[in-house]
Amino acid sequence: MMNRRQLLTRLAALGGSGLVTGAVPAIFQSALAAAGDGKERILVVFEMSGGNDGLNSIVPYADDTYYKLRPRIGIKPDKLLKLDEHYGFNPGLLGFQRLWKDGRLAIVHGVGYAQPSFSHFTSMAYWHTAAPNSGDEYGWCGRLADALAPQPVPNFLINVDTTQSLAVRSRIHTPVVFDEPERFQRLGMQQARGLLDYVSKPISGNASLDYLDQVAHSADEASALVREAWAKYKTPIDYGIAPAQLPKVAACIAAGLPARVYYLAFRNNAFDTHVQQADLHQRLLSYVADAIHGFQRDLERLGQADRVTTMIFSEFGRRAPENTNLGTDHGAANNMFLVGTKVHGGHYGKPASLTALDDGDNLVYTTDFRRVYATAIDGWLQPGAAKSVLKGDFEALPMFG
Amino acid sequence: MLAPNYLRIFALALLALSGLNTFAADGSGDLTPIADGAWNRATAQHLLERAGFGGTPQEIDKLARMTPRQAVRYLVYFEGVEPRAIQAQPAFDESDIFEAGLDPFPAGRPATTALATAKGEALGIKIKRSGNRPLQPVVNEFFYWLRASRLETDRVAYWWANRMLSSPTPLQEKMAVFWHGHFASSEEKVRDYRKMLRQLALFQRQGLGNFRSLLIGVAQDPAMLAFLDAGVNVKGSPNENFAREIMELFTMGVGNYSEHDIREAARAFTGWSYHGLDFQVDQAKHDDGEKEFLGQRGNFDGVQVIDHILAHPATPAYIAAKIYRYYAREDLPPALRSALAERLKASHYDIAAFLETIFLSRDFYSPACVATRIKSPVELVISTYHKLGLTHVPGAPDFNLLTESLGQRLLFPPTVAGWSYGRSWVTPSLLIERGNFALDVMFADIEFIPTDRYPEYAAGDEIRQVHRRIRAGMEMSAATAPVAKDGGMAMMAMSNQVEHAEEFNTRYASYRGWQMAIERVKPIARDIARIELTRLVTGNELSTPAAVVDFFAARFLSVPLDATTRQKMIDAFTADLGTSDVLAAATYMEDPLRVLLHMLLSRPEYQLG
Repeated sequence: MMNRRQLLTRLAALGGSGLVTGAVPAIFQSALAAAGDGKERILVVFEMSGGNDGLNSIVPYADDTYYKLRPRIGIKPDKLLKLDEHYGFNPGLLGFQRLWKDGRLAIVHGVGYAQPSFSHFTSMAYWHTAAPNSGDEYGWCGRLADALAPQPVPNFLINVDTTQSLAVRSRIHTPVVFDEPERFQRLGMQQARGLLDYVSKPISGNASLDYLDQVAHSADEASALVREAWAKYKTPIDYGIAPAQLPKVAACIAAGLPARVYYLAFRNNAFDTHVQQADLHQRLLSYVADAIHGFQRDLERLGQADRVTTMIFSEFGRRAPENTNLGTDHGAANNMFLVGTKVHGGHYGKPASLTALDDGDNLVYTTDFRRVYATAIDGWLQPGAAKSVLKGDFEALPMFG
Repeated sequence: MLAPNYLRIFALALLALSGLNTFAADGSGDLTPIADGAWNRATAQHLLERAGFGGTPQEIDKLARMTPRQAVRYLVYFEGVEPRAIQAQPAFDESDIFEAGLDPFPAGRPATTALATAKGEALGIKIKRSGNRPLQPVVNEFFYWLRASRLETDRVAYWWANRMLSSPTPLQEKMAVFWHGHFASSEEKVRDYRKMLRQLALFQRQGLGNFRSLLIGVAQDPAMLAFLDAGVNVKGSPNENFAREIMELFTMGVGNYSEHDIREAARAFTGWSYHGLDFQVDQAKHDDGEKEFLGQRGNFDGVQVIDHILAHPATPAYIAAKIYRYYAREDLPPALRSALAERLKASHYDIAAFLETIFLSRDFYSPACVATRIKSPVELVISTYHKLGLTHVPGAPDFNLLTESLGQRLLFPPTVAGWSYGRSWVTPSLLIERGNFALDVMFADIEFIPTDRYPEYAAGDEIRQVHRRIRAGMEMSAATAPVAKDGGMAMMAMSNQVEHAEEFNTRYASYRGWQMAIERVKPIARDIARIELTRLVTGNELSTPAAVVDFFAARFLSVPLDATTRQKMIDAFTADLGTSDVLAAATYMEDPLRVLLHMLLSRPEYQLG
């Protein structure tokens, strides 16, 4: 009810008091429908930028080839957190191990795409647009939001970060992008308020200025709600040293913001471990797993866990053999992770072969990453929407329901 | 003076006949120089916005009195700039924090303690012979340098920002910012302010020179070599990081070379390393065998690979377009893109000559370019100070934290790809931050805490907690133990669990390193911008609120306010003043003027330059 009431209040502020008593103009009906009743399902997309070393994250310790590829940085079986007779988690992934034991973690193996790019920026753009070896003006999360709500709904698509990701660029919605909720506030004296909060209509003919005006509108619509959400939110849950923005997402969900898609990232190529990677990689993984585990516990505490699925990816995996600097170079196929109470935990997808590497010593993908996107769309958010969002037929994995 | 005009018409007719030239009447797409007669205050103001950090009215007048060619050469070649003014710029004032034992600095804390355990010492500090935590002094020293180098890097950024603000040759600094984003290295990984400063000096010295020299300079620059792991690129196991980025980001752009080219180029760069602050080639680690690169074979070394890259047509196209987008406009039609590539190629990669061409071009002064470019955070901050008449960057708000909150902290670019310019500078919260910056300049933030003396963020809380406990006499392990949240160990995040190392305590070292660093690194003066807006108003005899609004709009904005916004601003200012007789309010109008300027500088219009 929260979303609906918020929207009605907002509409009332815009158009007069008659709205609250029931007469909603037709043009707002679809926006209202999309904003929904506070029970809609939510997708949180989490990016590990830099190319996470999947082979040293979910370690196939029962396979001798792994230790041949990784004679010095291969993680010994006794150090691993065992999943089963074949795989073990990197010791940093304690948080994931806890989720795995609860049956709430799905691991998708061998994820990638044909003719992989080994450039961070190119490959990430492919993942952002879901258009490998081509591209798209809009991001896949942006297109997903457009499919879920064909009319603009304020605060429908949220990107918690300092800068906007290509993944959320949308034709219809202006993504709400913020980093620190407490700073998401236009400050100024009382006598300046009228103008500070006033946005001109974008009619200048100067495309850059029109864009700025649109962003100013979005800022007006979102800042107070996000700030209130954050101010009200207080958690006893331990998210670890680097919570990676996830508490902010929990706060927005707890406050009933209408967003259906959240996008966040462990940014700045943090996972680009070319040199002396062991300690650094384990530490980075512990940050991510702690934060995701904390987020899941927090959602349960808030009674929101059944509404939310979290999907975790990186732009590529790393080269199968280690390099001479105790690190790994850019690679191809990798793991993806999905977390949620409605996710059937377990292994999905066929693991990439450790023996049949490509010419560049890379793992060859077995599952197109758009199938995993399709799983999140068709299996979780909106059955049937994946085809148009992803511009092709990608079969969902049987992970939900 | 008829002859030049005839020639010009003749030339244009020829171009028209050749069918190559069908430029819009407004000059868009046309790289030929603008006419002397088209030169005025507006064009001079536009040039200063782009080739510098905005102009004061005096600077605009000065350039407007020149011919376009004189004005452009004044900025690009410093022709007519007082040489003494150039020489008078102060060098960076070192704090003296470096000690010989710190070089080479290990890759991380584990590598440092491993080295100390193996050799009995590291970072110039010996292991304690007996007693508790024998490695503690070594780890303290490790954190000392991390902290000290970072704080000194912040001072380097301040020094650079002051040059941008007051330099008689602002294009030199503006081009250095471009190269810093293009050849991005970050103190976050380099961990040595000396290397960062040295790289910056290269951009300042060589940024307007020849691109080949610059590129070789960068490829042999210790900060870059450290940043892209080139130091570990050795014969038999080439590290591809540098070879990949030099082609993808620094010269050709993706799609113009193969993975094979990357591997071969990496071989050519093997052995390129540094000792201290000096480039060196380790011949024993250099692979001088035959390589196949971009379709050619030979025993190439790094410089030869660079020359092959420069000869590839993708390189001038990529560099020319990127420079043009930085100075002129985001949206580049294909014809203009290839024309720019031709110009850069024809100049043999002479950056100054290329800039002279574009700053003189009709396209640069056409509506496609003028007032369409979103200012970068650094440009926004520096040009605001400059237009306010400040001669140095205030200590509060802190320049580094401010620009970081706006999305562009100097010497800390987010990745090797640098910053994305254009629309990505602005999100809903970043737009709000920009307005809040204007407020902080007009009315100082009284809660400001000097960030170079007082640890910030999450780690800051931890350091302050350790500080209080240690001074209360607590035992080190207890003093540094984190406070567990609810839920006990089963719910406790792994990264928050206590470490059990006996030989040293990392959290204590993190705290002690901070203390050691602030003892040595010189503080940043925390002065507030001193502004006198009243004097501007009385000095220009502005007598009505409308005249005041128009005056500030003309001084600060590149696009006019729409009529409604302008009127709202006049009304708000009049109400705040309590009269429409501005001069009658002269004794108390400073604050209303500051409120007005805050409103004006918060507008979306002000983000365009």
